[in-house]
Amino acid sequence: MTVAAQACYIYGIVPAGTTVPVELAGVEGAPVELVEHDDLAAVVSGLTAERPLGKRADLVAHSEVLDAFAREGAVVPVRFGSVLPDTADVVAELLAPNVEHFLEVLEQVAGCAQFNLRARYDEEVVLAEVVAEHPEIAELREQTRDQPEDATYYARVRLGELVSQALSGRREIEGSAILEALLPHAVAYNVREGEGVDHLLDVAFLVPTEQREAFEAEAEDVAARLHDRARLRLLGPLAPYDFVPEG
Amino acid sequence: MTVASQRHSGGYLERPKPSGLADVVEVILDKGLVIDAYVRVSLVGIELLTIDARIVIASVDTYLRFAEATNRLDLYEKGGKDLPEVIEGMQESGARGKTSGAIEGAKSKATDAIGSAKEALSGEEEEEEEQEEPRRQRRPAKKTSQRRRRQEA
Repeated sequence: MTVAAQACYIYGIVPAGTTVPVELAGVEGAPVELVEHDDLAAVVSGLTAERPLGKRADLVAHSEVLDAFAREGAVVPVRFGSVLPDTADVVAELLAPNVEHFLEVLEQVAGCAQFNLRARYDEEVVLAEVVAEHPEIAELREQTRDQPEDATYYARVRLGELVSQALSGRREIEGSAILEALLPHAVAYNVREGEGVDHLLDVAFLVPTEQREAFEAEAEDVAARLHDRARLRLLGPLAPYDFVPEG
Repeated sequence: MTVASQRHSGGYLERPKPSGLADVVEVILDKGLVIDAYVRVSLVGIELLTIDARIVIASVDTYLRFAEATNRLDLYEKGGKDLPEVIEGMQESGARGKTSGAIEGAKSKATDAIGSAKEALSGEEEEEEEQEEPRRQRRPAKKTSQRRRRQEA
C-alpha cells in the first residue's frame, strides 16, 4: 500500500490467488492491489485525497477495474464509493465475517458476464403510431396544439396521460418480446426501471461464456427487426453489477 | 451520440465501449455490494449522488411532457405523410441523431443525474471530455432545455 494513503478504496471481491491485470490503474491512478484472507481477496487501492468521490474519472476507474477483473475471472462488485480506513479493516470488517457468503456469490457469477441492453423508441415514429391508433389522442392533440398553454391545461394533462398509457401498453408487449428472444442465452436478468417517451426496455443479463456468441447474435437480430422504430445498444461484457446481493 | 459507437459488420445493434460518463453512471450507480455504513469512511458527495438519482417526479409533469412531445409532431401538416414515408424521411435526413438530442433533453428530474450526463454525451465531443462532476451537471435549467428542444424540433 502506498505510504501516503489515508484510506483504502474497495472495488470488489475476487477468489484468492487472482492475478491483478497488468497496468491497471485505480481511482486517482493509484496501483490496484489485493488484500487476501482465507480463499478471498479484496480488490483495493490507496486513497490520498480528501475530496468527495464522484468525478467522472472516479466512476470510470471503478468500472474499468471491475470490468478488467471480470474479463479474467469471477468478481463480486462492491458499490461505487466504498472506502475503509485501512487494509486491516478490509480483512476484519469485510472479508473475515463474510467468507462463506462471498464464496457462494463468487460461485454464482463465475463463468458469466453481464450485458446491459438498452432499447429506445424512435420518438417520432412511436408517437405517430399512437396518434394514428387512438382517436381520442388524435382529437385532444388537435384541440391543444397551437393553443395557448394556459387555456388547454387540463386537456394537455389528459392527452399526456393517454399517450403515457398507450406507450406503456406498447412497451409491455414489445419489451417482453425482446426479453423472450434473449433469455434462452442468459442465466439471470434484471429489468431496470425507466421512463420517458422513448423508453422501451433497460435490462441487464447474466450471460455464461459459452452462450455469449449466441446471445450477441440474437441481440443483433432483435436490433435488426426493430431498426425502423427503435434503437438498441448493448454494453458488455461487464462485471456482474446487477447480480450480487446488496448486503 | 454514435460517435463512440462501434458497429459490428454494419449491424443495427450499437456496441459502444462503456467509457462515456452516462454509460458508466448507468451501469454502476446503485449497483453492487453495500458495506455497512458505520464501518465506512464517510465521503460527502457519494450519498448525494446516489439519493438524487432516485427522486420521484410528479406524474402531471410527466404527462405534460408527453403531451408536449405529441404536439411537437409534424405528421399531417407537411403534406400528410403516412408512416412509412415518415420513417424513410427520417433515415434519409439523418434525423435520428437530432431526435435523440430532443429525447435526451426531455429527461425528467428523476434521471437527471443520468439524463444530463447523457445530454453531455449526445452533444459535442469536447463536452464529453469535460472533467465535470456529474452532480453539477444534474440540473439543467428547465426552461433552457425546453427552449432548446423547440429549436431542434
